[in-house]
Amino acid sequence: MRALTAPLELVALALRYSLAGIVAHPWRTRAWVVGLIAIALVFAFGSTLERLPVTSVQLGYRGTAMEAEYNPRLLKPEIEANRLLPALPAVPDAGIPSSKAYKNIKVLQTADANQFLRQMGAFANWINPAAGCAYCHSLNNMASDSLYTKTVTRRMIQMTREINTNWKAHVGGVGVTCYTCHRGNSIPQNVWFTEPPPGAGHGLAETGTGQGSPDKASGLTTLASDPFTPFLLNAMPIRVTGVSDLNIGNNASTKQAEWTYGLMMHFATSLGVACTYCHNTNNFASWDQGTPNRVPAWYGIRMVRDLNRNYMLPLTNVFPAGRKGPMGDVAKINCATCHQGAYKPFYGASDLAAYPLLAQRNTP
Amino acid sequence: MAMLNFEYKYRVRGGTLVGGDLFDFWVGPFYVGFFGVTTAFFSLVGTLLIIWGAAIGPTWNVWRINIAPPDLSYGLGFAPLREGGLWQWITFCALGAFCSWALRMVEIARKLGMGLHVPIAFSGAILAYFTLEVIRPVLMGGWGHGFPYGILSHLDWVSNVGYQHLQFHYNPAHMIAVTFFFTTTFILAMHGGAVLSSLNPPGDEPVKTSAHEDSFFRDLIVYSIGPLGIHRLGWFCAINAGVWSAICIVISGPLWTRGWPEWWNWWLNLPFWR
Amino acid sequence: MFDYRAAFGIEYQNLFNRTHVEGPLDIGPVLKSGNEFRRGRPWTSVLLGFIGSAQVGPFYLGAVGLASIVCGFIAFEIIGLNMLASVNWDPVQFIRQLPWLALEPPAPAYGLHIPPLAEGGWWLMAGFFLTAAIFLWWVRVYQRARALGMGTHVAWAFASAIFLYLVDGFIRPLLMGSWGEGVPFGIFPHLDWTAALSVRYGNLYYDPFHMLSIVFLYGSTLLFAMHGGTILAVSRYWGEREIELTTDRGTAAERAGLFWRWIMGFNASYESIHRWAWWFAVLCTLTGGIGILLTGTVVDNWYLWGVKHGIAPMYPHVYPYIADPGHLRGVLQ
Repeated sequence: MRALTAPLELVALALRYSLAGIVAHPWRTRAWVVGLIAIALVFAFGSTLERLPVTSVQLGYRGTAMEAEYNPRLLKPEIEANRLLPALPAVPDAGIPSSKAYKNIKVLQTADANQFLRQMGAFANWINPAAGCAYCHSLNNMASDSLYTKTVTRRMIQMTREINTNWKAHVGGVGVTCYTCHRGNSIPQNVWFTEPPPGAGHGLAETGTGQGSPDKASGLTTLASDPFTPFLLNAMPIRVTGVSDLNIGNNASTKQAEWTYGLMMHFATSLGVACTYCHNTNNFASWDQGTPNRVPAWYGIRMVRDLNRNYMLPLTNVFPAGRKGPMGDVAKINCATCHQGAYKPFYGASDLAAYPLLAQRNTP
Repeated sequence: MAMLNFEYKYRVRGGTLVGGDLFDFWVGPFYVGFFGVTTAFFSLVGTLLIIWGAAIGPTWNVWRINIAPPDLSYGLGFAPLREGGLWQWITFCALGAFCSWALRMVEIARKLGMGLHVPIAFSGAILAYFTLEVIRPVLMGGWGHGFPYGILSHLDWVSNVGYQHLQFHYNPAHMIAVTFFFTTTFILAMHGGAVLSSLNPPGDEPVKTSAHEDSFFRDLIVYSIGPLGIHRLGWFCAINAGVWSAICIVISGPLWTRGWPEWWNWWLNLPFWR
Repeated sequence: MFDYRAAFGIEYQNLFNRTHVEGPLDIGPVLKSGNEFRRGRPWTSVLLGFIGSAQVGPFYLGAVGLASIVCGFIAFEIIGLNMLASVNWDPVQFIRQLPWLALEPPAPAYGLHIPPLAEGGWWLMAGFFLTAAIFLWWVRVYQRARALGMGTHVAWAFASAIFLYLVDGFIRPLLMGSWGEGVPFGIFPHLDWTAALSVRYGNLYYDPFHMLSIVFLYGSTLLFAMHGGTILAVSRYWGEREIELTTDRGTAAERAGLFWRWIMGFNASYESIHRWAWWFAVLCTLTGGIGILLTGTVVDNWYLWGVKHGIAPMYPHVYPYIADPGHLRGVLQ
């Protein structure tokens, strides 16, 4: 309660003294009091804002306000925080495949044994540098599958290869490594779990609409607290805007538009961009008026959906209960998982070429 | 026609701000004055430039005509006429015409022994325009940040600037500006309605007084601000609508590059309840 | 030398009452129905006296007013308590998250059926009581004018605003066959609804009635700046006595009229400016309501409507043609 009353008392006190100052004194004093209050308010408001100068990039025809705006002071720490690790030094081939050198190799069996070891070292650096090998391996028996993390890692290697070979439409030549998401964390910092579905609130009051709270998922709006389950796991229609001038049977509701908008807020905040990065907002639906950036975004949605369904969901029973969400579901991927605030992960820097094992096609 | 029967005694010389008796005359019902001449000049040149812009554009369709500012690559420099230069000169003419118009209002108010409330209020509107087309582009380092001259194209600009900040309705100054717009319209309806209902009572009722207006609002909502106060309130709210519009756009970009919903983090993170 | 202080000094612009006169308070003309429902002894406020009348009250209660206030209070409580429940009855979080909190309409799946209380039933009920409160208040506005022997212009202007409110929350959802189309209660939620509506229906800026509504909104503000400014500017000639000056034109009215005549060749009269004002304000919500009423019921994409009718600007392309990848695959999703 103290948290509630303290600011209220403060406001009441300030009001009382400023009103007394305004009413009970000659006009010069009044002018001073009003002026000081005004200056204080301007400074208080200013302290919540950014500082000049800003930079901008034009993204459309002049005068359409299609542009990207950046504040260099905000961008600088972001760029610092999104740096690749130095690549491990290259090693000469051992001349024998890893499956000959080690036991129980199931995914990287064709890799040269030395390259395999180097890759293992990179995994440790990328995912859990503190625990190192022990995070996935029983140190008494490295070949043992006793730790669930090893099972997960195998699948994640396949997922990385899937992204780098079959989703070039989204990742281009830049590609991904484990570090793109993990950044030294055993669980990537940006993952999501399914929320209880709307209407699941208990009691007589309306508490479970999936809206109406400061939702981080949708950029601190009230649009949707879980815009991921319908679109990035299930394939609910994202396109809600009418496709003809008059109503010819598009039944998408305004509420659906709120969820789509919520997903788009997630896109924008995950990539550090605005709507105009992809769209001319005079008609969101139009591809032709938008920018080419929208095309990889389109594939990105399909990619994330594919990865969540075919790589994450099947691991549900592998993870212990403590690693799962409130609904017992597995941690899942969204745009922020890789992008982490950058329009391209690591602002387009890539070290995939240093880890060719991750760029190979999965063996069927 | 040119003069109303009581107008003669009000048409006096003097009260001008510059130029003494120069242009101190009327044309038909219009007062001319030095600033009338500059208004006419800037309006004419500006309008012709707009027509020129339309002529070299792809359409004469009045809804689609679009005279856009220069590319951002021109920064704060001059652009060729066909590539935003026209926009720059039209903006210059518009500001010249608006300021001349305001100063002509001052001269006329002084001739009639009136206060300067109308030109002061108009200055608020000019400030909003000046902020949109000059202050904000200058702060952001490019004339290309101004809005284009076109009936629908300026709406596209508004839309894109809004979505530049993801959900513009979360801009606190925009909230205040919209509130002032709605409030002004609301009290305008109440004031207009009150005066008309006093002047146009039903049936054979005699015309009512301002005391009736006061009683009507006191009966209805406890308070009546009175016949003088309502004009102060309306004038204040109308000016604030324009001024807060200017504030809401000048902070969008120069002082805040992110989505406006994110701005509210300071509130959510106040130390006593975070 | 020109005395700028005399011409522009703030003390000459009559922005504040510099002298506060105290005298017997005004109880108001005796109502046709008698004065027994006028409640409260009027009192004066120094602060209010700076800008307008210092007198507060009396207040006419009456059965209709009481019923309206009760209904409004019920709606307020339904909304507030549901919001409080949504933060688990934590008063601190209630204030912290208040701008975000919502009472949402039912999910579209319920159509026009009555949903359970926790899934939109409260929204319907709050809407019902709020509408009842507004209707009763309208009756009150009408009755108070009639009791004073005045016209009912304020009531009919209010009716125009009620029309917009009903279109947003009741008539359009009814025509769309879904309560879910209604506006949520809540500060940020109703703003998010507004933005989402524009996204769903292809840009409300291209809705010609929305254009008109904005024109009348800005126009009303412009009119009040002009009118308020003019009256204040002639207040040194007692120009604020609008009723008296309408019936018997004095020098204030002459100067006010000539001011605009000399500026733009045309002027309103002391009465007609209030007709301009009334119509601009009334048309703001009336055209706005029509614009929303057509959205979804008739028009599905206002931008494409604009393209069809030749008003959408065509910008030169800055990128090579971008195809919808959904079409490339033969799948649209």
